[in-house]
Amino acid sequence: MSDIAIQVEGVGKRFRLRNAGGNTLKSLVMDMFRNGADTTRELWAVKDVSFTVERGTTLGLIGANGAGKSTLLALLAGTMMPTEGKLQTRGTISSLLELGAGFHPDLTGRENVFLAGAIMGLTREQMNRRFDAIVEFADIGRFIDQPVKHYSSGMYVRLGFAVAVEVDPDVLLVDEVLAVGDASFQRKCLRRMAEFREQKKTMLIISHDLNTIQTVSDQILFLDHGRVLGHGAPGKVIGQYETFWREAMSSERRREWGTREVILTGAQFLDESGRETTKFTWGQALTVRLHYEATTPVGPSVFGFGISDENGHLVHGNNTQIEHVTIPALSGKGTVVLKLPSLNLAKGTYLFSFSVHSADHRVNYHRLDHAFAIGVEASKQFEGICYMPSQWSQEPPSCT
Amino acid sequence: MAGLIKEIAAHRDLLSMLVARNIKIRYKESALGFLWTLLGPVFLILIYAFFMKIVMKFPIPMPVLVSGIFVWQYLAMCLGDSSFAIIGNANLVKKACFPRLLLPLSIVLANFVNFLLSLLVMGVYLLIVGPHFGSIAWLPLALVTHLALCTGVSLGLCALNVFLRDVQHLTGIFTMAWFFLTPVVYEISMITPITTQHPILGPLYFMNPMAGILALYRTALLGSPLPDFPLISLSMLVSVIVFVAGTAIFQKLQPRFPDEL
Repeated sequence: MSDIAIQVEGVGKRFRLRNAGGNTLKSLVMDMFRNGADTTRELWAVKDVSFTVERGTTLGLIGANGAGKSTLLALLAGTMMPTEGKLQTRGTISSLLELGAGFHPDLTGRENVFLAGAIMGLTREQMNRRFDAIVEFADIGRFIDQPVKHYSSGMYVRLGFAVAVEVDPDVLLVDEVLAVGDASFQRKCLRRMAEFREQKKTMLIISHDLNTIQTVSDQILFLDHGRVLGHGAPGKVIGQYETFWREAMSSERRREWGTREVILTGAQFLDESGRETTKFTWGQALTVRLHYEATTPVGPSVFGFGISDENGHLVHGNNTQIEHVTIPALSGKGTVVLKLPSLNLAKGTYLFSFSVHSADHRVNYHRLDHAFAIGVEASKQFEGICYMPSQWSQEPPSCT
Repeated sequence: MAGLIKEIAAHRDLLSMLVARNIKIRYKESALGFLWTLLGPVFLILIYAFFMKIVMKFPIPMPVLVSGIFVWQYLAMCLGDSSFAIIGNANLVKKACFPRLLLPLSIVLANFVNFLLSLLVMGVYLLIVGPHFGSIAWLPLALVTHLALCTGVSLGLCALNVFLRDVQHLTGIFTMAWFFLTPVVYEISMITPITTQHPILGPLYFMNPMAGILALYRTALLGSPLPDFPLISLSMLVSVIVFVAGTAIFQKLQPRFPDEL
């Protein structure tokens, strides 16, 4: 009746982690037939997840590795049982959880196609009707009668994808398919998925490629450690995810040390319009308001900053001394302002470090390394991570 | 149980394909192919014939030895293969949604097909060496009981092996012990003097379902005297219990397979 294709209510999935070597035969046997809590460690791969997917729409799942995306798909596919909560799906489901999961290396492509079809619940006649389309989509020609162990990995994946889409399900679950295959096959997959959307089929897609997932999804669900952190329009949730990811990265890389006579208490990042953000665009201005507090009055000081790329390589750094800005004695709270008139960085994530030390470099008051992350979007194309303003011209041809 | 049968019936195409797959894979790229199903038991028979008849002068007729080894071979194959029915298909179990019972069942059935073919060959052999066939009417009962036993044991073993890989190692030892507890390389009549010493020994011996099953086969194929019917019934009852218990264990444990693999 309703137009809900997938309904998930308060779903949780608990895994039991076995203590290595700590198992007696008895505890194992007891464990096998008991379903309640026990002494072994537990891990909730998915917890308190609720959402609905309307028929004919595409939901994208994003999150770091281990966020629970694949577990959620396995629960929807029915291969795993939820520990708690309720899942309801309407219509037939085909899952691309792993392409060619059921393929046996010793069987031919043809035999595997029929076997895979049967696993997905199709009869032999139904598969007969689809067989030619599958071979054509997979584009493997005569290899269809060769054992799949002789296939290249690309052929293997193409055949797996072809089977899953030609089965023509009402709901298609796709786990990281877009990461495999060459560019032309990826385009083919995307086209096929677009056709799916036109046919008002429901899809659930996992991908780490944020651009792709943004274009194919109607809604995005953002998972972290098994919990839903965001759900809604693609642009909004992906922005949320990027911010989250940047914060996670800076908190992971963050190092701080110093005598703490002066403490860097915080930094505000502002864009050209003076709005606080961590998302910037190439060529625009970036302003940092760096707050400090001198717990003990100190003499002339130097403030410095550094920008590193995702891998921790320093891209640029300087300080007030290099720029001939004199910072006299510090006491109490205050703010210094750093302005980068034009952000010349390539697209990516960058980490800011700040420091304050005495003018003679003897005492390091406080240093915050890799403590703040920003994202940069670049419309300008160039090689490398830093853009050098460059001018090209051609001299008049010489006559020699 | 009724729901389970319905589910299997709905997936009979898949079951038949899995059976075909198992048969194909076993003989893929081996020069002798299906002949191996026969050659294995034939070599076993030759080895036992040499040691028992020639070295140890043990008076066992060849048809008894041949029927014993062929019949035993079916159970032994199931015992050997079934441990891997689930763990060997981890990918399928984790990634695809279908009745998982089909995986071990298809192994049992593939072996059953091989067994029926080898039974045919054995029939030809028996015709050549000449003795009278027995009361062939017992054969279907023997086959059904045998199949039920193999199914039950296989389902139970493959499910337990997911949680405790020691099962696959124990199976080998267990198979060996079971082999000698079963009248494979001797006749039931040879141990009758022992089993009749005490009223409990006979039933105890026939608690081993293979004892009764093998007796049925030999009655059907060789015309050996059928043991007392209560004893045969006991073997059949145990087979049914093993079948039900194996299926129940499998169904109880199967929802947790993907978590453990």
